[in-house]
Amino acid sequence: MNPLPADQADREKIALRDGIRTCAQAMPGLLAWGAVTGMVLVQSGLSIWQAIAMTLIVYAGSAQLAALPLIVAGAPIWVIVLTTLLVNFRFVIFSAVVGPHFAHLHWTRRLWYGYFNADLVMAFFPQRFPAHTMGKPVGKLGYFKGLAYSTWWAWEIGSLIGILLASQIPTSWGIGFAGTLVLLGMTIPLIVNVATLAGVVVASVISVAAVGIPYKLGLVVAIVGGIAAALVADRMSSSPDAEERAS
Amino acid sequence: MNAFAYLMLMAMMAATTFLTRGFFFMLARSRMPAWLQHALGYVPAVALAAIVAPDLLVSGGSVSLSWTNIKLIAGVAAIAFFLRTRHVLATLVSGMVVFTALRLAM
Repeated sequence: MNPLPADQADREKIALRDGIRTCAQAMPGLLAWGAVTGMVLVQSGLSIWQAIAMTLIVYAGSAQLAALPLIVAGAPIWVIVLTTLLVNFRFVIFSAVVGPHFAHLHWTRRLWYGYFNADLVMAFFPQRFPAHTMGKPVGKLGYFKGLAYSTWWAWEIGSLIGILLASQIPTSWGIGFAGTLVLLGMTIPLIVNVATLAGVVVASVISVAAVGIPYKLGLVVAIVGGIAAALVADRMSSSPDAEERAS
Repeated sequence: MNAFAYLMLMAMMAATTFLTRGFFFMLARSRMPAWLQHALGYVPAVALAAIVAPDLLVSGGSVSLSWTNIKLIAGVAAIAFFLRTRHVLATLVSGMVVFTALRLAM
């Protein structure tokens, strides 16, 4: 990677800066997305301090939005917590992608870093450190922190702006669409071969078809279905005499 | 809901964030079979697609593939822009410009 005769600490510092730089391109979208979430929290009936507390403590946008109407309606605590758990369920799959890279750390630190493994972190991290780099920890923690903490800051600042400006910016502007566009721009470069394309297409179709399933569980079904499709396509395209299709 | 009860609820919701996001951070030392390891490589692309697709294709609760679905049109424009420029920020700006122009025009 870098020819510098750097020691471990320097390498982590370089990796940290790389992580921040990688995240920077997604920052405007994150800010806009956080702002919309913050706005919705207040416009749905939370007080400003309630909205701030939720944003800072829970740190999971889609779960917050799902729990919101339940809290406002005074639903039982267990219903609210169960809903949050179900909406967050996709993160279990995400944690399997990133978590094993940090097996060497003490469990308290793994618990801490896991909390920050949000969608964008899960999307960026394996591009730099794919599965076969497991067991080679150099640079990973720095890179992860760079991604994870800049994601946290951008999301929280965006949310606070949204909470404070809730009454000023009309939701009809559709600023939250910026978040969708960022995810879109991150998805395309990940489609590196036919198998991934098959997975992406199948996951998209299932996800759209399953949009009525409550608690965003359609998303989990779509991810599982998409992976299955990718594995099947993988097997069909990797017969011994087939061309190597990865670009 | 009083302030204490609200903060307790927030703590419980945060516990679900820790539990789900941290799941395989906590179980990081368990050995994963090679095929599962391989399958997990597809997760980022597949998961992002599953998150994005309904945003673009579902409008007002049903699938919309028509010209009146401005998010779909703006999304297609953004994809075209990304394939030319390979730049996420430029994609974001172009998509929002198309989206806003169509929103104001309709």
